[in-house]
Amino acid sequence: MRIRSLFFLRRHHLLIFIIALLFSALVLMSLRVKQRSGVEFFDALWLELCSPFQRTATFVIKTVQGVFHRYVFLVHLEKETTVLKKRMAELQEENHQLKEAALANERLRKLLDFREKVPTSMVGAEVIGRDPSSWFKSVTINKGERDGVRKGMAVIAPEGVIGQILKVSPHYSVVLLITDYNSAIDGVIQRTRGKAIVEGRGENRCQLKYLLRTEEVVAGDVIVTSGLGGNFPKGLMVGEIRKVEKEGHGIFQYAELVPCVDLTKLEEVFVITESFLLPSGEEREKEKEKKVKRTPGGSPRGK
Amino acid sequence: MKRIAIPLFLGIVITSLQATLVMSLPIQRVRPDFILIFTVYLGLSYPPISGGILAFVMGYLTDLFSGNALGFYTLTRPLLFYAVQIYRSRFYLEGFTFQFFLTFIAALLEGFLVLFLLVCLSPSPLPNLYPTLFTVLLPQFFVTGLLSPVLFSLFDRGSDFVFGDYDESLKER
Repeated sequence: MRIRSLFFLRRHHLLIFIIALLFSALVLMSLRVKQRSGVEFFDALWLELCSPFQRTATFVIKTVQGVFHRYVFLVHLEKETTVLKKRMAELQEENHQLKEAALANERLRKLLDFREKVPTSMVGAEVIGRDPSSWFKSVTINKGERDGVRKGMAVIAPEGVIGQILKVSPHYSVVLLITDYNSAIDGVIQRTRGKAIVEGRGENRCQLKYLLRTEEVVAGDVIVTSGLGGNFPKGLMVGEIRKVEKEGHGIFQYAELVPCVDLTKLEEVFVITESFLLPSGEEREKEKEKKVKRTPGGSPRGK
Repeated sequence: MKRIAIPLFLGIVITSLQATLVMSLPIQRVRPDFILIFTVYLGLSYPPISGGILAFVMGYLTDLFSGNALGFYTLTRPLLFYAVQIYRSRFYLEGFTFQFFLTFIAALLEGFLVLFLLVCLSPSPLPNLYPTLFTVLLPQFFVTGLLSPVLFSLFDRGSDFVFGDYDESLKER
């Protein structure tokens, strides 16, 4: 019997291998759904291994772009005239560098102002890569677990919300953008305070769902975070309503939302490393203890 | 070992380029999928076991850097690899037209498979999926197909350069 099974294995080893490979892909998918720590460890390991390549590629691309902007285009101008052009090129180069410095200065000042305005603990990070697939929307950043970043944490920019941390490794993280189909955050219409869920719709668009039909909402209304999800602080700008869809029946209406941050041009982001669950677990514990103390005959241990 | 380690390294480099260089292109409709082209190339030129493992890793790497929380590509890329393996002996593999159509159809099939998985596994109906497929992804698949003959030729030359002696010794045997 054993010999026969060995023959069977030998004869159909390729088929068995293919089935095992596809089955392991399904098992991996199932483990991801259950969010098993083993898969997360494996993900973190590969993320840590592969992200330096992305970081290097980003650095090389930026350097080459810089060289093209600073030199190659100027060579073309130099051909048109002689000495004056050369002088102009030098001045342009200087001007470009000054402009770059001014822009970087302004951007960093904006980030600093923003950081001072929002009283939360945040970690600044640089975008080093984007989603390699066409269906999904995410970016890779150069901060990870060692910098205090955890799964589910909110990622924002001075203009507003960007997304949430999806995968973490010691030095890198993957951020799920708000435009991804899998993304959903709690939002409020700033003008009317009507609550809704902001879901990703792909291609730099979001959809406002579960918004009561009775809520008055018009194109141009601003959506901000409600603070109920626990990850995002209250009042951060999410986007602006572009189109309202009121279907013939049902209790909800839907709206199309344009994110306030241009997610295709992300360079620097902030990860909020603080939870905004109100009340937090510790606070709840403290409140419970207080209640127990207040009740007659009650003790902290509940004797 | 060399036949696995070098393509694996190349795969990591291609994934990095896909996530940085290709994604920084300003027009979304002309962003080709280099990882898919590489997987199709593996399907055409690699044996089923080592190629299958490489396709699996390529899918896993795509999932790793993507917002796809479930890991569809770890399933679809080996499927695509074996689909190409099955039909590779039945077609004339040389020439621009064949390579273009093969990659375009492979991209299209994978697109439908991902769409099917997304529709089946999402707890609530996802908006805008079909318009995305037809307005953004179809042009992408087309560009991916157009670029595939160029990349196939590059991969062939690279393979000849790296494994030339090895392949010749295999042929001699």
